[in-house]
Amino acid sequence: MPPTGTFKAISVKNLGDKPQSRYNLCPDLWYNPLIFSNLIMSIDTVANPDASTFQGLILALQQYWADQGCVILQPLDMEVGAGTFHPATFLRAIGPETWNSAYVQSCRRPTDGRYGENPNRLQHYYQFQVVLKPSPDNIQELYLGSLKHLGIDTEVHDIRFVEDNWESPTLGAWGLGWEVWLNGMEVTQFTYFQQIGGIECYPVTGEITYGLERIAMYLQNKNSIYDLVWTIDPQGKPVTYGDVFHQNEVEMSDYNFNHANIDFLFSTFDTCESEANKLIEAGLPLPAYEMVMKASHAFNLLDARQAISVTERQRFILRVRTLSRKVAQSYFDARLRLGFPLAPAALREEVITKAKALEEKS
Amino acid sequence: MSQDTHHFLVEIGTEELPPTSLKALSKAFTDGIKKGLAQRKLQFSRCDAFATPRRLAVQIAGLDAYTPTESLKVWGPPAKVAFDKDGQPGKAAIAFAKKNGISVEQLNTANDGKQDKLLHERSTGGEASRELLGDIVRTSLAELPIKKRMRWGSKRDEFVRPVHWLVMLLDDQIIDEQVFGIKAGNLSRGHRFHSNQNITIPNAQSYAELLQSEGHVMVSREAREAAIKEQVTQAAEKLGGQAVIDQSLLEEVTALVEWPVALAGKFDEDFLSVPTEALISSMKEHQKYFHVVDSDGKLLPCFITVSNIISKDPQQVIEGNERVIRPRLADAAFFFKTDKSTSLEARREKLKTVVFQAKLGSVFDKTERIKLLAGGIASKLNTDVSSVERAAMLCKSDLVSAMVNEFSDMQGIAGFHYALNDGETEAVALAIKEQYLPKFSGDQLPSSDSGAIIALADRLDTITGIFGIGQKPTGSKDPFGLRRASLGALRILVEKQYDLDLRELIELAASTYKDLPKADSVCDDVLSYMLDRFKAWYEEENIAAEIFQAVNAKQLSCPLDINQRVHAVQAFSQLPEAQALAAANKRVSNILAKQESKPGFDVNEKLLTEPQEQALSQQLQQFTAKVGPLMAQREYTQALCQLADLRETIDNFFDKVMVMAEDPALRNNRLALLNQLRALFLEVADISCLAVKA
Repeated sequence: MPPTGTFKAISVKNLGDKPQSRYNLCPDLWYNPLIFSNLIMSIDTVANPDASTFQGLILALQQYWADQGCVILQPLDMEVGAGTFHPATFLRAIGPETWNSAYVQSCRRPTDGRYGENPNRLQHYYQFQVVLKPSPDNIQELYLGSLKHLGIDTEVHDIRFVEDNWESPTLGAWGLGWEVWLNGMEVTQFTYFQQIGGIECYPVTGEITYGLERIAMYLQNKNSIYDLVWTIDPQGKPVTYGDVFHQNEVEMSDYNFNHANIDFLFSTFDTCESEANKLIEAGLPLPAYEMVMKASHAFNLLDARQAISVTERQRFILRVRTLSRKVAQSYFDARLRLGFPLAPAALREEVITKAKALEEKS
Repeated sequence: MSQDTHHFLVEIGTEELPPTSLKALSKAFTDGIKKGLAQRKLQFSRCDAFATPRRLAVQIAGLDAYTPTESLKVWGPPAKVAFDKDGQPGKAAIAFAKKNGISVEQLNTANDGKQDKLLHERSTGGEASRELLGDIVRTSLAELPIKKRMRWGSKRDEFVRPVHWLVMLLDDQIIDEQVFGIKAGNLSRGHRFHSNQNITIPNAQSYAELLQSEGHVMVSREAREAAIKEQVTQAAEKLGGQAVIDQSLLEEVTALVEWPVALAGKFDEDFLSVPTEALISSMKEHQKYFHVVDSDGKLLPCFITVSNIISKDPQQVIEGNERVIRPRLADAAFFFKTDKSTSLEARREKLKTVVFQAKLGSVFDKTERIKLLAGGIASKLNTDVSSVERAAMLCKSDLVSAMVNEFSDMQGIAGFHYALNDGETEAVALAIKEQYLPKFSGDQLPSSDSGAIIALADRLDTITGIFGIGQKPTGSKDPFGLRRASLGALRILVEKQYDLDLRELIELAASTYKDLPKADSVCDDVLSYMLDRFKAWYEEENIAAEIFQAVNAKQLSCPLDINQRVHAVQAFSQLPEAQALAAANKRVSNILAKQESKPGFDVNEKLLTEPQEQALSQQLQQFTAKVGPLMAQREYTQALCQLADLRETIDNFFDKVMVMAEDPALRNNRLALLNQLRALFLEVADISCLAVKA
C-alpha cells in the first residue's frame, strides 16, 4: 500500500468523494508502485497542469478542452498550412450538425523557412485548434478559462481582443473575429466562421487557434523557439525544441527553397485537381478533399520555389478555390443524404426543408 | 395628460467591437436615435453618447413623456350628397364613416366656408415615448454603417459582433423591449477583468458614474481619449522626452480599452541605426504604441503602450511588450541590413515580374515610361535631366525589397536610404522618397524639383494608361485612385509654379505607351478629367463655381495659368463694379451671338456718331494698350482691376446708344466696337459667367 497521506491529498482534490471505488476496479494499481507514481503525476496534471514544457502545454490544453466536452482528435496526417484545413474544421463547419473538437495540428508554410537561423520563424510549427459549433455564448469566457488553466493570471497580464478578420482565398472562406493579445503579443486567433467553401455557415462555428510556440516562449520566458524546453528527460536534462526540430528546419528550408522538384509539383497540382474533380463526380467528398489539400501544398511549395509569377499566382489560387467550393457542396450533399445525424432536430428540419425547396426549384 | 420628462438610457453589450470604427458606430447609433425621436416629434434637452470596446450606449435627458397631440380635420363629401332628402345617410356617408373607423351615427357636418360637408375630427399623437423607444433603437441599430455584419451561434440576427446584454431604462423603469432576441433589463456588466459581473443600473442618470465607480469602465469615449492623451504625455515626460500622439492612433487605442493605463517600455539603443520610419511603423502599426522623441525630434529608444488593466504587476506587462517589439525591430534591422547588399539598380530587374496592370505591363515597364516622361518634363523646366532620369529608373526598386514587403508604408523611404547607401546623389535619393507626395489631401508636396517631377510623371503615367485602356473612374468606383492622383498632379504644377502645358504632358505620357486601345481620345479625356478636379479644389477654397467656369470657358490647359486667372477673377468679383460689368458682358455676348454673320473687329471712327460710343472706342484703345503688358506678365488681377474702370463708359454707352441701328453701316460699326470690348475682357476670362442669373 502506498502512504495514505499522499493519496488522500490527491484524492480530495481530484477524485471527489469516492476514489476507492474507481481504483478497486483495477486492483493491480495498488500493488505496482511504478504505475501508481505515474498515475499520481497524471492525476495531478489535470487540475494543476504543468505548462512549463512544450508538451506540458499541449497536454494542458487538451485536458482543458476535453473537460469542455470536445472530441479530442490527433493531427491530420497530411501537409496543411493551418489547422483550419483539417477536415474537422473545414468540413465540419459546413451544415447544421453540432461539432465540438480540439486537436494539435502541425502546419507547413514553406516560404516561412529560415534555415533554422531565425529565432521566431519556422516553416513547420504547431497550432492548437478548437472548434465549437454552434459557437456558445460564453466562448470568450471558455477561452479565457483556458489561459487561466495554463497559469496565466488575468489580473496581472493585459489580455485584449483586437479586431482581426480572417479570409482564405483558397478555401473560399471568411469570418470575423480577433487576434488575442497577451501583453501586446498575438497568441491566439479567434474567428466566427461566416462562410466556408462558398457556403453560408449556419449555425456558426467558433474557431480558436493557439500559436503554441509563441505561448510556450512566453510561459518559458525564452527568446528563441529553439531554446524552448520540450520535456525533461529521465536524467532530468531538458530536451529542447531545437533538439527535436532544428535539423528539420535546416533541411526542409533547403528543400523548400532549392530542391523541391518544380516539374513534379506542377504535375502533382494538375493531377490532384483532375482527381478531385473525378472524386466529386463520384460523390466522394472526403478523398476529394484530400486531393485539394495535396494540390494546395504543391502550390505552396511552388510559391517557395518562386516558380509562379504574380499573375499566374492569382490563377492558381482561383483553381484551388473552385475545388474547395465543389468539395464543400459535395460534403453538404453527402451529409444531407445521411440526414445530418449530428444536428439537433429543429435545425435539421430547417436545413433539410430549405435544401429540398432549393432542389425542387432547380 | 402630464407633460413631465424622462431620462432614457440604452446600452447594447457586445463582444469587442472593431476599434477603427467605434467612433463612427457610436455617432451613427446616437444620430439614429435622435432621428427616430425627431420623426416622432419627441423633444429632449440633452443627449450623450458612450462607447467602449464592449458597449454602445446613449443617454437622453429631458425626454418628452408623450408625443405632442395635434387635432386633425378630415373633410368628407358635401352634406347634400351624403344624406338624402329625409336626412338618411347614403352610400357616400357610409363609406366616409367606414374609412375613418367610426359609425354613421357619429358623423358630423360643418361648413368649410363654402358649403356644409361631412367632418371627422380626431387628434393624433399623445403616444407614450416608452412605447416608441424600442422601435427607435431597433431602427437605429439596423441602419448602422457596418462594413461586414456577422452571425453567431444558431441565431439569424446580424450585428458587428455578438450581442450579450441590453439595458433600456426610462428613469428607474425597465422598458419591456427586445433587441436581437435579448430582453432589456437593468443589468450592465463591468470591466472584463476588474469587475467581471453584472452591475445593476438603478436609474438612467446613474449610468456613467456607476460604471466608473463599480464597473471599472470609463464609458465616455471622449473622456477616455483625454485621459489617455494625458497619461501618455506624462509618461513621455518621465522618460525625458515628448510623446508623438497621432490622432488616428489615439482614437484606435481609445477604442481598445475600457480602463486605460499607460505604461512605458524600452528597446535596445542599437536599433536606432535602422531608419526611424521603420521603427515607428513597427511600433505604431503592429503594436499601437506611441513613440517618444527628444527636444530635437530624434527618436528615443522607448515606447508607450496603453494597457486595459491596473495590473497587479505592471512590470510583467511592460516586459511582455518589450519582448514583442524586440523581434519586430530585429526583423526591420535584418531587412535593412540584407536589403543593402543588393543595389537598387540590380533589384530593378525583379520589377519585370511585378505586374502594374495586366494590360499595361510590368512595374519595370512603368519605370521606363516614367524615365521618358520625367526626362521630358525636366528639360522643359531646364532642370537637371540626368538625375531625374536616374531617379525614374530606380524609383520603384524598393517595392521588391524585404523591408517594403514587410512594412508597406516604407515604400520610398526605404528606397531613399538604399539609394544613399548605393552612392546615388542626394537629388536622386530625395526624388525616390518624395515621389509619393502628396499622399492625401492637404499633405506636403515634394521639397525637391527631382521629387516633384517624378511624382508628376508617375501620376500622369498611371492616369493616362488607365484611361487609355478604357478604365476611367465611374461614380464612386476609383480603384486606381485617379481622382487623388489628378489632384496631386495639379497641386504640384500650381504650387511648385511649374509653367507647363498639361496637354503637352499628357501627349508625352500617351506617346510612351505602345498601343493604347483608346489612343485617339485619351488626351482630351484625361485633360478634361484632370482639369475637372479644380472644381473640388476651388470648392474647398470657397471660390464660387462660376469663377472657375469663367476661366475654364477659355479652354486653357496650363494649370498654373488657370489658377492665376481664377484668383484674378475671384478678386475682381469682389469689386463693386463686378456685377454691372458681368451683366454688360452677358448682354454683349448675347447680342453678338444673335448675329447671323460674325461681326468683325474693325471700327471706323468716322462712323461713331454718338459721344458715348466715341468715348467707349477711345477708352477701349487706351485700355488695350494698358492691359496688354499686364497680360503678357500674367498680372491678371491688375488687368481686371483696370478694366473695372470701364464700367461708367459702358453703362453710358448702353443707356444712350442704339446698337441695332437701322443703318447697317452704323450697326456693324457698333457691333465691331462691342466685339472689341468683349475680346478685351475675354483676354482674362469670360466674365459673363459671373452674371447673376435672372
